[in-house]
Amino acid sequence: MNYIAAAIAVLGGMACAYGESKIVSHALDGMARNPEMYSKLRSSMILGCALDETTSIYALLIAILCLFIG
Amino acid sequence: MNNINFYSSFSDALSHMFDFDIPGEIYSSLIVMLLICLLSFVIYFKFKHADPLEERPHGFVLILSSAVSYVRNFTIELMGKKWEGFAGYVLALFLYVFLAFTFSLTGLPSPATYLAVPLSLGLCTFVLIHVTAMKANKWKYFNRFFDPFPPYIPFFFPINLLSMWSPLLSLSLRLFGNALSGYVLMTIIYAFFGQISSTIFAFIQSGVNQVFLAPFVTPFLHLYFDLFSGGIQTLVFVMLTMIFVSQEDPDTSEEEMLILKKPEPEGN
Repeated sequence: MNYIAAAIAVLGGMACAYGESKIVSHALDGMARNPEMYSKLRSSMILGCALDETTSIYALLIAILCLFIG
Repeated sequence: MNNINFYSSFSDALSHMFDFDIPGEIYSSLIVMLLICLLSFVIYFKFKHADPLEERPHGFVLILSSAVSYVRNFTIELMGKKWEGFAGYVLALFLYVFLAFTFSLTGLPSPATYLAVPLSLGLCTFVLIHVTAMKANKWKYFNRFFDPFPPYIPFFFPINLLSMWSPLLSLSLRLFGNALSGYVLMTIIYAFFGQISSTIFAFIQSGVNQVFLAPFVTPFLHLYFDLFSGGIQTLVFVMLTMIFVSQEDPDTSEEEMLILKKPEPEGN
């Protein structure tokens, strides 16, 4: 049962991957339109990716809790 | 768990004096703190003996002075001129979080993988947020618990009471989850390559034959999971702390005041 719960929890990674793809695609759009902003956009993009990754890390944390503690 | 023991004699009690159940991460955290203390003493003496009339600082002094001015500019840029004194805390936080995160490169357990350490860092931010809000708003601080309505309609009180804890949880769990996921993945990868190596080099004595493949694969992964992830998470942690703290003080900074005081367009 714990393994099923962990697998369901990890499905939250899907949403995170979708959001991250959105971030990167829009950042690339901006870079292509305005190449002078490249460095600024890249740093904000990495920051946004790190913030977005948090969601999947919560999912992973809950999965690990399900596996080892629950 | 029954930790209460009664010792028969003084020497017996003395021999059990160091039987604390302290996990290794706390010792790592102490080592990181010791390193930072040593570094700050070295910086102090270096700067004391640095010649101010020298045309160009070089080496250690140059790197440190540029780092300090970078952090100060970063703080002023993000929080406004009023918060210039906050740069010291920001620099200390940068150093501690980054060193704690990348401490697993030495082979010892990283303090960030033990929940107490990120939680206490988050608690520092939490206390800072609320102390700043109390200083800025005085008695109106308590309005935040009843927020959209005036205080005599406690309709949103339970929701606001719960949402009070969200910065603490999100900050500490973000750091902890990143460190723990890196640690777990690295452990799995080490076990995997140990297994493969022991099947390929089966003719060598068992136990020794696990170590031949992993050193060629894992350095790149350490680069990502420890250094890159650690740097990004440090930046995110520090930036979020600064933003959370500075948004509690509703006074506008000088630049914003200049923008707000622009003369209105003529006409009408």
